[in-house]
Order: sequence, then C-alpha cells, then structure tokens
Amino acid sequence: MMTPFAVIPGDSSAPLFKVFRSALGEHLLIVPHSRIFDVHHDANGDNDAQVLPASLAAALADTANGEVPLDHVVEPPPQSISLNVSSSCNLSCSYCYAARGSFQGAQREPMPWEVARAAIDKLLCGADPLSPVTVGFLGGEPFVNRRLIHRAVEYAAEEGSKRGLDVRFSVTTNGTLLHEEDVELLRKHRFAVTVSVDGGEQIQDLQRPASGGRKGSYEMLLAATRSLLADPGLAQIAARATVVRGEFNLRERFMGVLSIGFREMGFAPLRAAKPGGDALTDEDWPRYLDAIVEVAQSELDRGRQGAPIRFTNLAVALKQIHRGASSPYPCGAGGGYFSVAANGDWYACHRAIGSSMFRVGNNAALDLHQRREFLRARHVHSQPACRQCWARYLCSGGCHQEASSRTDSSCGFVRGWLEFCLAAYCELSVCNPEFFAPSARS
Amino acid sequence: MSQAPIKLIPRNVAALRRGQQPADGARPVPGNPVSTRLESGVGNCFPGLECDLRNLERRFFPFLEVDIQDTEIDVISVDLAGVQESAGNGEISADTATTYRQISSGLSQGRRWTISQMRGTFGPLGVQTLVVADLRLPSTGANRLPPDAWTAIRLLTEGTEVELTLRQGNTTRSLVRNRARYLDDNGALAKMFLPGELTQSLCSPWTHDFRDCGCFYWASNHPDIALPVLPTPPPVTPEINTYVPWERKDRTVNTLPDPATIDTPVELSHYEINNRWQTLNFVLEGRETVAPYQLGKFTALKFASLAELVTNLRYAAGVELAVIHEYLAAAYSLKVAGVPATAQDNVDAARAELMRITYGEMRHVRAVNDVLRALDPAAFVPALGVASQVPAPLPDAFRPVVPRPATPEVIQAFIDIERPSVSVDGLYSRILATLEDFGSDETQQTVRSIMADGESHFETFSFIQEWLDKHSPADYLTNPNAGVAPADNALHQKLQEEYLALLERLFNGYALGIPAGAADINTARNAMLGTAGLDGAAEAVAAAGFLVAFDHIPDARFAPVDHP
Repeated sequence: MMTPFAVIPGDSSAPLFKVFRSALGEHLLIVPHSRIFDVHHDANGDNDAQVLPASLAAALADTANGEVPLDHVVEPPPQSISLNVSSSCNLSCSYCYAARGSFQGAQREPMPWEVARAAIDKLLCGADPLSPVTVGFLGGEPFVNRRLIHRAVEYAAEEGSKRGLDVRFSVTTNGTLLHEEDVELLRKHRFAVTVSVDGGEQIQDLQRPASGGRKGSYEMLLAATRSLLADPGLAQIAARATVVRGEFNLRERFMGVLSIGFREMGFAPLRAAKPGGDALTDEDWPRYLDAIVEVAQSELDRGRQGAPIRFTNLAVALKQIHRGASSPYPCGAGGGYFSVAANGDWYACHRAIGSSMFRVGNNAALDLHQRREFLRARHVHSQPACRQCWARYLCSGGCHQEASSRTDSSCGFVRGWLEFCLAAYCELSVCNPEFFAPSARS
Repeated sequence: MSQAPIKLIPRNVAALRRGQQPADGARPVPGNPVSTRLESGVGNCFPGLECDLRNLERRFFPFLEVDIQDTEIDVISVDLAGVQESAGNGEISADTATTYRQISSGLSQGRRWTISQMRGTFGPLGVQTLVVADLRLPSTGANRLPPDAWTAIRLLTEGTEVELTLRQGNTTRSLVRNRARYLDDNGALAKMFLPGELTQSLCSPWTHDFRDCGCFYWASNHPDIALPVLPTPPPVTPEINTYVPWERKDRTVNTLPDPATIDTPVELSHYEINNRWQTLNFVLEGRETVAPYQLGKFTALKFASLAELVTNLRYAAGVELAVIHEYLAAAYSLKVAGVPATAQDNVDAARAELMRITYGEMRHVRAVNDVLRALDPAAFVPALGVASQVPAPLPDAFRPVVPRPATPEVIQAFIDIERPSVSVDGLYSRILATLEDFGSDETQQTVRSIMADGESHFETFSFIQEWLDKHSPADYLTNPNAGVAPADNALHQKLQEEYLALLERLFNGYALGIPAGAADINTARNAMLGTAGLDGAAEAVAAAGFLVAFDHIPDARFAPVDHP
C-alpha cells in the first residue's frame, strides 16, 4: 500500500451506513468502502436495520486488506495524461468549457510536437509498469491537430513497448473531422473514443452548430463516423451528450444517438456556465432525475433479460457498485491523472487549463508542494458540505470544476440517482449475474 | 438497545472482501493442511483416531439420548425443551409429549428406563421387530438379526418410522417417531449434537495407543517424524531440515535431535508417554513449534489485467505441453529390456514415475484450459500451443525446450523446473494471486492443485535421481546419445501423425467444453494407449534408438507460444 503524505480524518459523527430497498427487500450500504449487504430479519423480531448497532457498523466499515484507508492522501505516480493538442474547434457549442480550445485565451496555439513528446516521456518514465498507462487527446477538437495525434500515438506505443508498458489511448472528439487515416489509427490501437453528440438531428444541430455559420453538425458527424462505427477494431466507442436546461426528452435523445450506430451513450448535465447560460437550476434537477431514471429503467429491464446495457451512466455505476468503488476523490485529477496544456504546463484537470490553483507543474517536473496542496484541498473530508453525506465516497464531491455550483437540489439529484443505482445493482446481480463477470476488456 | 438479531448477507464484492480478505487470499493457508482436520480424518466405529461415529446413534430417536451396550439400550436424558416446542406446534401429540415427560421425570428420580424392543426398517434386513435382549452373535444366513443393539440402530433407515417399547420396572410405554437425521441440509452435524460428543469415547489415554502405532498410521498432526524446532536465529546447517522422531525420549529443546533415519531411535515408552504426552510439540507445516505461530508472507505479484492473466495462462498451458515433450523423451529413453538385474527395479520405477508425472502435466493442460474457459467462455479458444521456452531456475530466465534422454544432467534440469517457488511454480503463484481479482474460488482451487502437484513432482524427480544415480547411464538408457530421428523416418512420421490427431481431438473437445466435448476428450485419451496408439508409436521410435520428439506443427491452433 502506498504511504500517505497526509491523513485527513472524516467526521466521527458522519453516517456509517444507509438502508435502502430494492425489489429483493431491504439492503444495507456500509458507506466506507461501499459494502452492500442484504438484510434478513428474524421472523419473530421487530428489529430494524435503521438502528444497526454502531459497533457493528464500525466493524463492517473497517478497511480490509488490499483497500486504501479513505482518510489517506497519497501521491500515486502519474498513470495517465491528456494532451490538449488543439486550441481551436470547427464547432461552436455555447456551453463549451474550453471556449473552443482557447480556454479564454490561456491556450492560443496548438501543441507543438516537442511538448507532446516531452510529456509522453515524462509519463512513461514514471508510470507503474504493472498498471496500464493512458495517453489522451483533448482540445479544442483534437483532430484539428491530426498530425500530432498520429505522431504521438506511434511514439507512445513504440516507447511503451520498449519499456514493457501497457499503453492505451483515449480521445474526446466531436467526430466530425475523422478521416480514414484517423479511423485506421483508432482501430489499430486500444483507444477509448468518446464522441460528443447531443441527440438526434434536431437537438444536435441546435446545440452543436458548426462555427461561423448556421449549419448544424449532424450530417458531418454521420458522414465522418460511419466507417468507424461499422468497424471499430480495437477502439471502444461511446457517445456522450451534454444536457442543458429545458426539455429533458432524454429517452428520445438516447434512441436518436443509438440510431446513428453508437452502441453505448451517456448524459452529462451542464452544471457550470457563464452567467445567463444554460446550466441546470434548482427547479431542473428533480425533472432531470426523473428523465434519467426513465432511460435507466428501460435499459435495466433489457439488462435483466441478458441484453447489454447501453446507457453508460448506468452500466458504469452498476459495475463500480459491484466492486465496491469508494474513493475520497471523484476522479484521478492530480493523483494518477494530469492534463498537459499546449505550452507544456501540467494541470490537475483538463477543464482547468490556465487556472493557477490547478497548475501543478510542467514537463520538467511536478511541483510537489502544489500537487499536495491540491490533493489536500480536494479530499472529500475537506469539503464541509460533503462530510455528513452518506454518498460521500460514491460521489466524492463531484467534479472539482463544478463544486462551486453545488446546491441542495443538485446534490439531491446525485443521491436520488445513486439510490436508484444501488437498488438496480441488487436486482441485476440476481437476475443477470453474468453482467458482473469480468470481461476480457477491462 | 435490545433487538432481535438481523442477518446480513454480503452482496457486492466489497462486502465479501470485509469477511474474506481476498487481497491476501492467495497466501498459504495458516497452519496445517485440511487433511489434518477432524472432517478429513479417519473416522471409524472404534475408539481411536479422530472421532467415534458410534456416538451418532446416541441420538437416533428424536428427543432421547441413549447409552448403547451389546444387548441393552438405556435412556439417559430427554430433551424436554424440544418436546415442549414440538407439542406446542402440533408436531407431536399431547399423549406422546406426556410419555416423554414421564420418562424424563423417572430419570430425574434415578429410575432406569430402557428400550426393550424396536420396530422399524433395518436397512437390508427389512422391516423387523427386534427384542434388544435377544440380539447376539452369530449374525449370518437367512433371517439373520443384527448382532448387537448398536448395529441394529445403525441399520435403521433415516427418516423411516421407528416404534420403541420403553420399559421402567413393570411400566411400559411406546413412542413412534422417524429416525432422526444426523446431518442438516448443509451437511453439518445436526444441532442436537453437543460439542465434544463425537470424540467423548476416544481411547483413554489415547497417547498409549498412539505409542504403538507406527508407519504413518495417524493423521498428519500426530506424525511419526517432524522437522525439529527452529531455533532463533535459524542456523544455516542442513540438519535443521532433517526429520526427527516426534516422540523422541530426549526432550531437550536447544540441541538438534538425532535424525529419524538412525536405527531404533530412543522414544518415549508407553508409561512415559501416558505421563508426558503434553511435552510433545505442536507440529505446524511439518515443523515442531514451541512459540506462537507466525504466518508466512505471500509475495506473488499480481498481473496488471485480465488480458495479461489470460496471456500468462496460455503460456502456462504451453509450458505444460513443453515439459510433456521433454518428459516423454526422457521416459521413453529408458530401457525396457536388457537392463542388468541389479538395476531393473530402479529403472522400472523411474520410468513409471516419469510417466506418472507426465500424466499429471497432461491433466494440467486440461486444468489451465478449464480456467481460461471459466474466465471468459465466449472468447475461449483452446490453448494447445507449445511454449518455445520454459522458465529456468533463475528469476526471469528462460531456456529452450529440447528433447533429451534421461541422463543425470537432464534429471537435474527436471528437478530445477519443478522446484517450488522458482520457475514454473513462480508463474502459477502470480496466476493464483491474480485470480483473486478475476477468477472464481473454483479456478483458484484448480491452480492451487496444479501447484501442489508441482511440489510432488519435484520430490518424485528427486527420488528418480536417487534411484538412477546408483547405476551407469549405459545400464538404463537405450541410447545415451540418442538424437531426433531424420524427418523421413517412417516411425517418426507415424508418431507425428498420432500426435497431431491427438491434439486435434483435444482442441475440439476443449472448444466444445463439457459435456459436449467429452467424447472428443475420451477419444484423445484412448488414442494415447496401446501399441496402435501414441504409446506404441513412441515405443517404436525409442526402440530404433531415436528420441521421442515432436515436430513443429504448421497449424495456427498449435503455433508455439512465446513467454510473455
């Protein structure tokens, strides 16, 4: 186990367990380490799991061998980076956090090859050889800087294999600029490809217009992704839709995206936007929850019959609940994951390019002090609003960038969604345990 | 706050982890192997060994506990609480409950209640009404009766109706119930048995009996010989790993005892052991232990992913096939005829043991394929490619696979490849550790059993070395300089055909799985035997002075596997 550089204790009065129900009956979630038990009552007893003895809850919550204590703050070696290869985009979606790749002026030029190579070298030198290493590409639209992507992939794959590393790749793209040579690259390597697509033709064209004109992007997307979707090779492709406030016709959007040929898709609600933007408000969250649960419920029904679950929000949550995912951080930012700006600066998160609080070093070296400060500050035990929440190790405070937009209503959505997923997990683990069997693609 | 208990059943992996600690599940099981536990022991129906099964019959009739002699059965207690509960829920009538209570009341006043007569289904003897006092030897021929009361009760078929006639003085009572179940639905002893009840009639003092029984008669926690106590710090002398008599008379701790191999070691006498049995040391993991037990550390490194695990399993199957090639070459290189009389037994034994080990490796090929199938049935493709290189004794070192006759150097190489904790065993340790994350308990047990075999193979090769070292290689090898036959040699070609046919059968059988593939696997097994099979073809090649060797097969299914 990695030695912690700091220990941040949680609240001793924070709830250690939560009782929830599924079609199977009553269950117990032990909050630390996300352990789930079925609760069987003695036939004669008028007992109540709500009053689980504190000593028992504490015993079940103890950290088991092989688990990392939840109050530890550790610095794992960087295991994955994203390269912000492009500073521009051919679409102009109003909600873009990166301002089409320019990050409000913080990133004016595309990434040069020397910067990409130095970042890859730094990653490969320090990574734990027993775990996979991931190089990701972001922007802007990454494929605006196509030549860099190709060069970086070939380089990382070759250097990685010399060092005996399992190098994988990821890219988040709007999918409209894929050339056949790009498709070949994605097929040939183990790429996790996330295509931003908001729904069927109407919503896609409305929310994701081409820049400099009124033209939508739907037709461009269809044409550019057809051959990859038909034959993905080694790539694993998922669609991701941004949901802004307004009509939550998620079911329709879901089917619209699948009809393009995507086999899985997920939704991300817009939480933070500039003033007057389209972020969800307190009134929207309950409606959004209803809409997402509707999609999830119908996919869960499919899953019960043994069909694949195509809704990634649900599928990922179920698998994480199964293994007992439990972390004081919502993502790997500043831990195993860093995002490299076009100028070679390393940030804890790709959404924070240009933000001094998130800058933790550069291609030459990580700034130990800044990195540690970041990890201390972002630990869920350091978030006053989260310390008493039963979902604190499942949600972990949510996206660092969006934390400031957190409200009771948006947290209510997270808890509501998790309660749905917890019950869905218990039911699916009985109806279709095969869903949780390890697959070759891990 | 008082409340009735609730039962928590783990549902997700994290809940199981809290109870099972799977992260260190692949460490050695602390202490002694399961074979030393009561449930693995030799239970019999005489006082001795681990338990006395006759004690089960003490509770053959619901709510009664009885003492059984040859022709008498005494009731010694009544489970009044059980009677009360059964009467309450209508399982027994009020009259029956009254009878039980009368018996109990009589017993509490010192009155003797006996079972004088039993009517019931006595197994193969059928339905009978037996007067207990009439039972006697001999018990032979038609219309035979059980020879004694205990045998009669033992014959009663579980769950069938039994009617007892109970007598106290001139009073008689009758009770009708089904013969009790000794085990519950999970195979555990029924709740009516109290702790210690099955062992209460073991020989006393058992240690006296123990002194008389040699030749590994007792279970392995009561060994004849054991490794001596490890002093702190452990000395580097090899004697510390030499077995010593466990019951030695000299109980000094700080000097190394004489080895067990000396003639007539001085042991505790019967009288001494009755008095000093408590000075015998605990034996854990084969060694006498006088200090608190410390669990050894398990250090195998997990593979990073399921994909890497699968790659290594495929390689492991290839290593098994590769060593099969080498072991077969060595086994068939040993003479079957013309061995000097003084060497005959040793050569026969060496060849038989080499073949036995090879059969073991063949089972491993199957076992590894079973594990691969279990990990991902949909993606499963049989692993039947031979490893191009096998692990060598040094860490991370590999050596090529070369068929060779069973010369002393080759036997030494075999010992090296099977040596625990090195080479092949090291590969399986990592596989086992990784299966904690990706495999089931069953796949882990499969790999454990492969590892246990490896240990026994290591020992067996050491024995083979000892046997053959007594003789000159010319005495036991058909051709000490044998090489592989030329490619156009007809005998060699026949061997290759037999081998390819065998692999194809196995491939089909493994691909189909069980039960669909059973026919193919059986056919493959049978094709190895007899003069018309692989065995005959190999004997013919060896008799011609060539090595039994298998050519590279130009077929993707059987392509060589490189080490990961």
